Amino acid sequence: MIKRVLPWLALGILVAGVLVVVLWPGDATTPAERAHSIAAGLKCQECQGLSVADSNASTSSAIRADIKRRIAAGESDGEIRQYFVDKYGETILLEPQSTGISLIVWVLPVVVIAAGALGIVFALARNRREPRLHATDADEALVGREREREASE
Amino acid sequence: MKHPARWIALAVAVVVVALGVVLALNVGTDPVAASKESRLIGKPAPSFDLPQLSGERVSSDDLAGKTVIVNFWNEWCVPCIAELPALKKFWAAHANDGDVAMVGITHASNLSEKQLARYVERAGLDWTIALDPKSRAALDFAVRGQPETFVISPSGEVVGYQLSETRAQDLEAMLAAARGLG
Amino acid sequence: MKPVLGYVAVAVGAGACVVGISALIAGLRMHDPLLLRIGRRCVFVVLGAAIVAAGVMEWALISHDFSIRYVAENNARSTPFLFTVTGLWASLAGSILLWSVILGGYLAFVAYKFRRRAGDPLVAVATITGLAVALFFFALMLGPANPFTVLDSVPLDGRGPNPLLQNHILMAFHPPVLYLGYVGFTVPFMFAIGALVTGRFGEGWLTDTRRATLVAWGFLTVGIILGAWWSYEVLGWGGFWAWDPVENASLLPWLTGTAFIHSVIIQERRGMLRVWNLSLVIATFCLTILGTFLTRSGVLDSVHAFTESDIGPWLLTFLAVVAGVGIGLLAWRGDKLRSPGRIDSVVSRESAFLANNLLFAALAFVVLLGTVFPLVAEAVRGSRLSVGEPYFDRMTTPIGIALLFLMAAAPALPWRATSGEVLRGRFLVPAWIGGVTMLVAVLLGARDVWEVLAYGLGAFATAGIVRQFVLGVRGRRRALGESGPLALGRATRSNPRLYGGLVVHLGVVMIAVALAASSAHSTNTEVRLRKGEHTTVNGYTLTYLDSSTTRDSQKSTISARVRVERGDRDLGVYAPAISSYPNSTEGIGTPSVRTGVKEDVYLTLVSSPKGGGRITLAVRVNPMILWLWIGGGVMALGTILALAPRLRRRPRTPHAEAEPTDDVEPLEEVPA
Repeated sequence: MIKRVLPWLALGILVAGVLVVVLWPGDATTPAERAHSIAAGLKCQECQGLSVADSNASTSSAIRADIKRRIAAGESDGEIRQYFVDKYGETILLEPQSTGISLIVWVLPVVVIAAGALGIVFALARNRREPRLHATDADEALVGREREREASE
Repeated sequence: MKHPARWIALAVAVVVVALGVVLALNVGTDPVAASKESRLIGKPAPSFDLPQLSGERVSSDDLAGKTVIVNFWNEWCVPCIAELPALKKFWAAHANDGDVAMVGITHASNLSEKQLARYVERAGLDWTIALDPKSRAALDFAVRGQPETFVISPSGEVVGYQLSETRAQDLEAMLAAARGLG
Repeated sequence: MKPVLGYVAVAVGAGACVVGISALIAGLRMHDPLLLRIGRRCVFVVLGAAIVAAGVMEWALISHDFSIRYVAENNARSTPFLFTVTGLWASLAGSILLWSVILGGYLAFVAYKFRRRAGDPLVAVATITGLAVALFFFALMLGPANPFTVLDSVPLDGRGPNPLLQNHILMAFHPPVLYLGYVGFTVPFMFAIGALVTGRFGEGWLTDTRRATLVAWGFLTVGIILGAWWSYEVLGWGGFWAWDPVENASLLPWLTGTAFIHSVIIQERRGMLRVWNLSLVIATFCLTILGTFLTRSGVLDSVHAFTESDIGPWLLTFLAVVAGVGIGLLAWRGDKLRSPGRIDSVVSRESAFLANNLLFAALAFVVLLGTVFPLVAEAVRGSRLSVGEPYFDRMTTPIGIALLFLMAAAPALPWRATSGEVLRGRFLVPAWIGGVTMLVAVLLGARDVWEVLAYGLGAFATAGIVRQFVLGVRGRRRALGESGPLALGRATRSNPRLYGGLVVHLGVVMIAVALAASSAHSTNTEVRLRKGEHTTVNGYTLTYLDSSTTRDSQKSTISARVRVERGDRDLGVYAPAISSYPNSTEGIGTPSVRTGVKEDVYLTLVSSPKGGGRITLAVRVNPMILWLWIGGGVMALGTILALAPRLRRRPRTPHAEAEPTDDVEPLEEVPA
């Protein structure tokens, strides 16, 4: 028994160790990383579908420079984002906020996946409860006939 | 739960119909309409204090009490150049009015100051041409590109906004509106 | 004359659809084989008419016949020949022409393949459905999207295609391949409707359309990858996928289609999931129409805004009809569709497929929700918001990683139930390879959890794939004494779907690893250089040599020549450019890319070398990008392998098929 479980256990420990190293809270993010992540969440105003971080447009580089200035001046990420929302409107945020109606876009997918997973689990459980031959005989005969008929065509 | 398929189909149908209605309502509307308006309209204009090509400075305080046309432009953007004749015509009519000022703020230019001065002279732009180091003014006005034109009323409120090329009659209309307010 | 000829061809096509539908319905009612045969023949008339119409349009484009509005708007005398030909799909009306040709082709293929079953109600209803879809597109061309509209005064020269559409060869391939995929999903849809209407939900309709579905899926896959490639080479922002609404529109049917080609295996094998499979097929078709609507109606802000037109309401109405018919039929037949099969164990191939389908459906849901949410938000509260890359990345990455795990594990799981012994034999080594890969990745400095997981699961999956091939080859070599390469070929041919599928999975691993590496380690540096100056970015030395300006009637282009070196190796001279077009506020940048096996150097000119002679250059170093395109090619190769006919068993070698794993795919053949 031990011999059988051991290799899996060792693998589990290896993977867990790797994940701990990766997920361990690292050094505080540098100002440059903060600036990039804020810029990546703002929409470029004169291009389509690009973030300020990805765009070479003149206003985007101005916004990037402004973000750096604001970080240096000690503003928080939230304050900086809010400043641009006040200036340009909520459409500048590429990631919907987690308040109000925008909450739907975050919560609904999780609800759908959970509901789907529960549905599958319930179906499996029902399958297990019901005896194997319950009602499936007739069905399988039906399928058999159907298959023969289609095969003969 | 006799026929779960029917209930699920009903639920899906409701969602699909709702989605269809939302899509149908949007056919023909402009998805970027919001980004063609300025949120500054009706609000106090951002203050500015910018260097001019001549070496002097131009600031919003100096222009208080006048109707101010602020035009963001540069030498390489094609619509900016296309609207220069309209700006010239407008300025020729109002340069001597006394209650009107026009400031061209050069945004994202590729030229050095000297070259820009030469360009301005050759193009015959005789209104105030300001520089915008570090794009401060462009950000304060929440500019999206260029050309963009703002009209500031004598009381310091943004009353007119035009994205992309303006025509002389647009400027006249915005000026009239601004004067009416003052 | 050309417009008349073209328009007549379109009218003939529409007429043939009407005649075919009427003849088939009458034939079904009166049990008249002659009428059914006539109805079937109409399909070929439809194809012929579409080909003639498209041919006339090509003729008009090549001869620069600017009396036709479409030609005047999408062609100019200065347009190069290649982009004159591709002008057929440069804008809406021509695209619909192309669409109808491809649809006609698929319909004719189905009619030919089922020529001996013309009297079969299922095939007849399927053909009626296909013709109805074709009728819709011909009606569009007769009315709101007439490609042959004539101009009153003939211009001397045309406007030429959109600048973005005429600077890369990929433009010649991306749209037609994508359409081959989009339109191909009409075939399974037709047969699903046929099965629902005739009440024959057995596995027959699945086997009938298996190949067509796979063909459509393969084309859609390649079309999407080509689109990403085009975006990377042309748009100049250094990326390949921006979660743009139109990109999402092409991804949606791919997601549901991928779910379908997996879940279909359970239905064939175990008779389960009938309603689900029919729903997936109908949903996939609806999503192709929705995608066309989103692309063409301009309700969403998109880089493809040049494709806008006013046929939006038509497409939406058509979508409503298709969705209504599909959902209605499912509801009507739903309770008779109860599947006979059942799942015995949680750890089995079946439940892995169920999880796979749940995740693909969830992915499709997330993408659809994010794409249309700005509109929903506006409808509810009156103002729009944006849903962009950060949202999609955050939501889809975990689902993608979970799918990668399933892809690694599921192909080796046995059907029905399993034991610890089997799991150990099949998974221990591949799983350890995955675990060690994760460790190595972390030791080499990777710190992003999704990136590390992608490498580990990619290695796990690859090891599993290699294991299956090794077992297949070894089995044949032992049993038959075949040489290695021969055994590989024969093993593949003996079970094309299994091995083809595994090759597709290998392509997916490449893409997953490339996505993980490029999203975690791409760098973007802006440098300013005077002529002759050089600088070093990420180990690459860049020297600005000189710049030149070229002007033609449509644009003026400034390009800067930059030498790229790494150490002592000269990697060549690259010339990123900016073109200015009239009526464009920003110049359109054309990137120049040094493609490498390990990483790309992606140069864009940010500001042109006027004035002080300095240029601003954006230098992006994007790792592993080449593997996206190679992975796409491998996926295409796998699809082709899976489509190959199965090698027949030879009587004298009874053990030839004795594959060491006990869970090979079912053996039934496609009824011709």
